[in-house]
Amino acid sequence: MTNKLFRRFSLILAVMMMALVLAACGETATPNATTAAATTAAATSAAATTAAPTTAAATTAATTAVATTAVATTAATTAATTAVTTVVATTAATTAATTTAATTAAVTTAAPTTTAAATTAAPTTAAVATTATPIPQASSEGNLVIWVDDGRAKALQPLIDNFVKQNGIKVTLQTLAFGDIRDQLKLAGPAGKGPDIIVGANDWVGELVTNGVIDPLDLGAKAKSFDPVSTNGFTYNGKLYGVPYGTEAVAMLYNKDLVPNPPKTWDELKTIAKQLQDSGKVPQGYTLQQDSPYHTYALLTGFGGYIFAKNPDGTYNPKDFGLDSAGGKAYAEQIDSMVKAGLLKKDVTGSIMEDAFKKGQTAMIIDGPWFIKDLKASGVKYGVANIPTMTTTPRPFVGVQGFMLSSFGKNKLLAKTFLTDFIATDDTMKAIYTADPRFPAWIPTQAGIDADVAAFGASAKTGDPLPNVPQMSGVWDNWGKSVTLIFQQQVAPDKAVTDASTAIRAKLQ
Amino acid sequence: MLQQQLERSSNNSGGNKGGGAQSRPSFSLRGLGLRLLGLAVIDAVASLFVITLFGDGLPIVAVAIILITIVVNWVFLSEQLYALRWLTPGVLLLILMVVYPLIYTIYSSFTNYGDSHRLTKDQVIAQLKTQTYQGANGATYSWTAYRSPDNKFKIILQNPTTNKSFIGDESGLKPYDAPATLPATLDGGFQKLTPFAAASQEKQLAALNLKNDQVAIQLISSSQAQELLSKYSFDPATDKLTDLESKVVYTPVKGTFTSSDGREIQPGFTSLVGGENYGRIFSDSNITAPFFGVFVWTIVFAAMSVLLTFAFGLSMALVLNDPQLPLKPLFRSLIFIPYTIPSFISALVWAGLFSIIGPVGIFSKTIFGDAFSWQADPNWAKVMLLFINTWLGYPYMMLICLGALQSIPTDMFEAAILDGATAIQKFFSLTLPLLLVSVAPLLIASFAFNFNNFGLINLVTKGGPPDSATTTPAGKTDILISYTFNLAFASGKGSDLGLASTISFFIFLIVAGITIFNFRFTKRLEEVF
Repeated sequence: MTNKLFRRFSLILAVMMMALVLAACGETATPNATTAAATTAAATSAAATTAAPTTAAATTAATTAVATTAVATTAATTAATTAVTTVVATTAATTAATTTAATTAAVTTAAPTTTAAATTAAPTTAAVATTATPIPQASSEGNLVIWVDDGRAKALQPLIDNFVKQNGIKVTLQTLAFGDIRDQLKLAGPAGKGPDIIVGANDWVGELVTNGVIDPLDLGAKAKSFDPVSTNGFTYNGKLYGVPYGTEAVAMLYNKDLVPNPPKTWDELKTIAKQLQDSGKVPQGYTLQQDSPYHTYALLTGFGGYIFAKNPDGTYNPKDFGLDSAGGKAYAEQIDSMVKAGLLKKDVTGSIMEDAFKKGQTAMIIDGPWFIKDLKASGVKYGVANIPTMTTTPRPFVGVQGFMLSSFGKNKLLAKTFLTDFIATDDTMKAIYTADPRFPAWIPTQAGIDADVAAFGASAKTGDPLPNVPQMSGVWDNWGKSVTLIFQQQVAPDKAVTDASTAIRAKLQ
Repeated sequence: MLQQQLERSSNNSGGNKGGGAQSRPSFSLRGLGLRLLGLAVIDAVASLFVITLFGDGLPIVAVAIILITIVVNWVFLSEQLYALRWLTPGVLLLILMVVYPLIYTIYSSFTNYGDSHRLTKDQVIAQLKTQTYQGANGATYSWTAYRSPDNKFKIILQNPTTNKSFIGDESGLKPYDAPATLPATLDGGFQKLTPFAAASQEKQLAALNLKNDQVAIQLISSSQAQELLSKYSFDPATDKLTDLESKVVYTPVKGTFTSSDGREIQPGFTSLVGGENYGRIFSDSNITAPFFGVFVWTIVFAAMSVLLTFAFGLSMALVLNDPQLPLKPLFRSLIFIPYTIPSFISALVWAGLFSIIGPVGIFSKTIFGDAFSWQADPNWAKVMLLFINTWLGYPYMMLICLGALQSIPTDMFEAAILDGATAIQKFFSLTLPLLLVSVAPLLIASFAFNFNNFGLINLVTKGGPPDSATTTPAGKTDILISYTFNLAFASGKGSDLGLASTISFFIFLIVAGITIFNFRFTKRLEEVF
């Protein structure tokens, strides 16, 4: 008796399953089953709602809903798997420039990636819909997707809204944690779920190009309107890979109460620091963190050293590495002698350095514009000046922010047009600066900006772009260790830079 | 109620061991309905998942999921397999989540998957085929697009050097006599498009037949179009890629198209490289030189962490277990607090306290002198790590010891007291051995966890201080897992996931070996007591 009942139920179940599978495959199925599939899909994923506007024919609504869910689930799975790697893969290179982004990344990855999954599903839905049933051409064909971090998304949103209103082209800003943009592009791009455009830093370029996920672009006559340091930063193997919009570099910050006139030379700086320490006004006149080679690059170049030699056109030659050149050794000995003289202290990290400056416990530091907001809140009277001259004019590293073109975008011509005809214009560049005040890479916008930003910009104009070769992560590692060892007085300065250079050269081959 | 259910299910499974249909549980319609509903939901989710996986090009996983779903359905529908009903899903998922990743890791260790070798060969070829070059006679035009109300397109191409113009549509190019400024409309209701409007019709414009002497004209930017030729051609038969511009022939070598004179085309693709990664582990001095030191420190770190947390946790538990202790709940809560704070926050807080501006750092400088440093001295850095790890881990040990202590029968102690045993004798001869029987597996788990405690090392010292003797990516406090991370991600040419998989596999072997040894050891313990 029960057995018969059981068989009947199994039969019903089998039919239900088959119907589900068929519906999901997008084949014609019984109306009942299709509705069931749609309900399940709607229940499983919120993304199903996005299917509604893009689907024209009501009969196919259910099929598309299923397809959307499928897409959303994949995106979610990829997001979940990558979230782990992302947290782990924050490299030394980016931490220097994006400390805040990196620290929050671990906490926030889960949230933005989930939204990513939900929203990136939208364009794919459109694609599915077009292949299934040809939709009549409308003015909104194509959806330009831009991956951008949360802060910059807020800055760009009004501009994009305006653009959408004027041109009737759909543009979607997708927010991701800053580092995730690079890591997700490497994974999602090849899987066909990439954006059209990403907003990122110039030191990603080499890594992204060797992975084949970004395309070169051509600025034409507009290239002349960009600061050369910014376009050089986005150039890899002789091709330009980004439209830069902002640059940032370290400069010297000094406490106006302790140092009325900023030193012009390195010797002056040391004299002032010694006087302040001897008089007991501050425990440390000048402070430099030991764990960030990025911050010491200005010293390296100021004493005549270099990381990569430059070609005549201003780009780097990764074959000529110069941490152990005569200038590089002079730089190492300078740090060593300053530590010995008590003008520098070991075990100082970036946060300790910034903390000491905010509390007035140190008079001079070298730091970047990202510190200004914090510094203003502390109430210290500070000034921003160029880094004092050593044996030659120091050149700090310049990080360049800009727009890059994904290799896997579905609207390449539109993306290019958007970058050259909308982003690279006076109005847009001005608006980007107002919303996200970094020193503009667009020369016409550089006039009439905030004094602090202009002061950091003056330092950036003298600087070298952050190298974008993919081997840079290895360079940071050994270089940073050699500086730390000198600070800790464990190795002679000469040996520290020579050893590090040997290891780095092996990696560069 | 719950108790009843438990009893019933245990009765059922007990009866089932005897086999036969009469042991089948009592049949209820509601139960069957719920079961079918549950299965329907599982099947629906599984089929969506499978479709997604097929779409993503992961057919092996998809087939695995199909098989699992079929087995699950079969087990749940067949009354004969009742005993397997609650075991099967778990076992199958275990295979999917544990065994499959392990196999995949081993597979990856034989490939060069990583930065610059992420795409598949087909993707690389497809990407290279889209690359173009401008031939010697290739002209550059400026272009303007027009659209008619019925969605037909025309493009006017103007060559600024020769001053010749063309108009093109589906039928091909025709010469066009262009006025100084192009008209806003053309015959047939064609309206001039703005650059954005034109660019958003990319597909339709690309479908137009724009060819000059068989050379395709492509729209390369918002204003320019060029006569372009394909740069690469690939012959699947010979597996060779030819650069049509320079006539150089490239063959795939370990996931990179390489010419006979050693030139390489980027990006590369993932390919099997045989035992290369394994060879590197044994031959690369960067990897071999610090390996022994790192390995010893990893063992010391894991063992000392377990020992210290256990010793400290146990002593706390003994104190709290004393019936004469007043305010017990209060003390228990206070002692347990470290466990309730997320460990990465505690680790960062402790790193701050030990830094030169932190109270511990300042205090130790006043005692040991200015040269003292928790960060620069490798031995003190290790002490610091063990201290922090003990602080993070003892509440857990205390908790399990408290539970285990309750389960030791008190009559043994009464007998011991009658025999005149001292407190120390009681502890080492009775409490500790009896406790170890129940706690030992947890100690092994704790060992395995600390063996791979990447988080603590990375948050507190990042492996530092650096090793001064060598130029390797290992720091003085790096353990195997953080060292792996350095090798694979932080110190080379981007992420080298193939090498990372290889080392992960070795770490798996080491941890598995240690765990097997430990379980043997514990089993002996159990046999003795």
